[in-house]
Amino acid sequence: MTVVWILFVSSVIVLPAAALLALRWAVRHGEFKNLQKTALSIFDEEEPVGRMTDRFPGPQRSSKSSQP
Amino acid sequence: MSATSPSILQALSPSDTEDVAQRRALLAEIDASCRGTLMLFFGAALVWLLIGTVFALIASWKMHSPDFLADIPWLTFGRVRPAHLNAVVFGFASEAAIAVTLWLICRLCRAPLMHGWVVNIAGVFWNIGVAIGIGGILAGHSTAIEWLEIPGYATPLLFVSYALIAIWGIITFRFRREKHLYVSQWYLLAALFWFPWLYSAAQILLIMEPVRGVVQATVNWWFAHNVLGLWFTPIGIGAIYYFIPKVLGIPVYKYSLSVIGFWSLALFYNWNGMHHLVGGPLPAWLITVSIVASVMMTIPVVTVGLNHHFTMWGSFHKLKDSPVLRFMVFGGMSYTVTSLHGVLLALRSVSEVTHFTHSTIAHAHQGMYAFFTMVMFGAIYYIVPRIIQVEWPSARLISIHFWASAIGIMLYIVPLIIGGTLQGVAMINPDVPFLDPNKYSVVTMTVPYLRVRSVSGFIILVGHLAFATSFIWIVARWIKAARQHQPTPIVSNV
Amino acid sequence: MNYGPIIFLGVFLTIASSWIGLVLIPQVQFGRQQEVKIEETGEIYPTVRPGLAQQGMEIYKANGCIYCHSQQVRPEGYGADIARNWGQRRTVSRDYLHDNPVMLGTMRTGPDLSNIGVRQTSVLWHLQHLYNPQITSKGSIMPPFRFLFEKRKAGDKPSPDALALPKEFAPEPGSEIVPKPEARALVQYLLSLKANAPLPEAR
Repeated sequence: MTVVWILFVSSVIVLPAAALLALRWAVRHGEFKNLQKTALSIFDEEEPVGRMTDRFPGPQRSSKSSQP
Repeated sequence: MSATSPSILQALSPSDTEDVAQRRALLAEIDASCRGTLMLFFGAALVWLLIGTVFALIASWKMHSPDFLADIPWLTFGRVRPAHLNAVVFGFASEAAIAVTLWLICRLCRAPLMHGWVVNIAGVFWNIGVAIGIGGILAGHSTAIEWLEIPGYATPLLFVSYALIAIWGIITFRFRREKHLYVSQWYLLAALFWFPWLYSAAQILLIMEPVRGVVQATVNWWFAHNVLGLWFTPIGIGAIYYFIPKVLGIPVYKYSLSVIGFWSLALFYNWNGMHHLVGGPLPAWLITVSIVASVMMTIPVVTVGLNHHFTMWGSFHKLKDSPVLRFMVFGGMSYTVTSLHGVLLALRSVSEVTHFTHSTIAHAHQGMYAFFTMVMFGAIYYIVPRIIQVEWPSARLISIHFWASAIGIMLYIVPLIIGGTLQGVAMINPDVPFLDPNKYSVVTMTVPYLRVRSVSGFIILVGHLAFATSFIWIVARWIKAARQHQPTPIVSNV
Repeated sequence: MNYGPIIFLGVFLTIASSWIGLVLIPQVQFGRQQEVKIEETGEIYPTVRPGLAQQGMEIYKANGCIYCHSQQVRPEGYGADIARNWGQRRTVSRDYLHDNPVMLGTMRTGPDLSNIGVRQTSVLWHLQHLYNPQITSKGSIMPPFRFLFEKRKAGDKPSPDALALPKEFAPEPGSEIVPKPEARALVQYLLSLKANAPLPEAR
């Protein structure tokens, strides 16, 4: 029983303390800087921003195309 | 063809510059490394989806026609229903989730899946575990603990296979070549870590060494709600965070919001479960904590919703061209709606009415199907052509699948939420009899809504059959291409 | 947010917190709850179920009764559980001490069963209801559990075990319906469902 209480009380202190320390570390090391840059990490020269990468298979369905 | 939306094979074909060719080769290497493993998981997931759908239809039909198949013990309602749940949750949804997670981790880390055969073996054993589990449920060995019905003799197999898969995902992550950790990765890695904790804790405390009395109920709902909140939801959100921007070619609207969204989800979602026990024989503080946490869920839901919908803003006309986008946007919108609806359902005064009614069932399907399953469908439509380098054979089949699933699930959810709420209103009014064949009673008033649900089930089945046809067809083309030794246009010379 | 270990730490801490809050603390609060002596009757409550009823619980589990029937009575003023006569009082944690698994349920397609052993005391009623719910509850959507019964060739006079059935539900002449042991065990379990002891904490 006492073991459980020790576990419980210590975790109530230890968990938030660890969380706060981690947050402090993260802020100091610039983990929250330049966030928008990471948003671009899924694109590259091959599949750059501005190019759609999915469409229905088969011939183009929309009639706006300028086929000869 | 228009330059803005090249066909997949065009997009995959080698480009001019060497650098791009190298990157292309890396992507092709990554996709090729996942090929066998992912096709195994997707194929098995599809089989479980069909099995689960059939179980669902049987269960649904029995609810308004109780004499249907009544004399077969293993098809009695109370066995078919958990068989349906476990087939779609641990068979279909979890396997699709694992496959999509592995592919996204490989892609985002720009690292191939190493020694995929280990995951293949784990996948085979996972499927054997699910099959034994569902067989056990039908044979009458269910544990009768919701979301954990699979009998104790099958779960170790599931756990060991899962552990192997998760470890492999994390190993791949350790060998990443991409410095940036994209938001999807946080969600996916968290899910990989959360699920085994949830599953093993629940197994030990409920089935191996059961705790006493009502603590079982708290463990049960801590697990059952967290399977949704900490396993399926993060994988679904993580997938949307990748696919909507990627398909559109537009970066996420406000990346900083995603930090708030992720950490608030991690913080609040896992405290939600006890809202399934409002009014139950548990201490008030426990339930209050969960109601508060449920209300706090508005923060991650709104931030994620803003990010998804504003990324999409102004691009809605592109839904016409992209099947993946359709499924993803439908899923993303459903996530917002279902989560806000869930916040509402957790409130004490609302729960008084809706608890114990069909509206909970409708809500569960809104989350698991309208959100998660639709996202998984979209992801499968994106991933499969890239890993096997064969295009989907028929645009029409994809359209049928989308519309049948979308209309089917709406026809499921909307009437059943209305019916369930009316059922709840009747139930808390003691003047309405519980059962009276000649009067408005709690039991008989639900029957029309239950019939509509069966109809919706057939529509959804049509969608799934279209999906299955597409999948078998594309696999047949893939095998044919492989037999003819056609060198695929990409992997050729690097 | 590009540092993996920090994310893992946060992910660990968040789930650890809810595990402590929703699993560990309830266990500390309730895990050692004991039986009490009821003042009015001098009896110990709750008692362990007798063997046959315990076997019946296995049938209840196996056939998924939990998906349509809850076993919890909500307090007066919250829902109409007490007004519907599903119990004289709300159920409390002590009522479930000897249940394994605890089948509170989350659905009331059918009525709550916390006190079905108080409401319906007749074995015949339960057997008929299981054989075909339409006999006792016309309009019910509960499935019939005929597979818990067997059809036998009747002798010259009906055997003592045979189930008495109204004419329109009776089998053809010359045969009779006899409950299997599973059906009898299940009925004993249902009859054992009584959460009516006057516990001080439930007042």
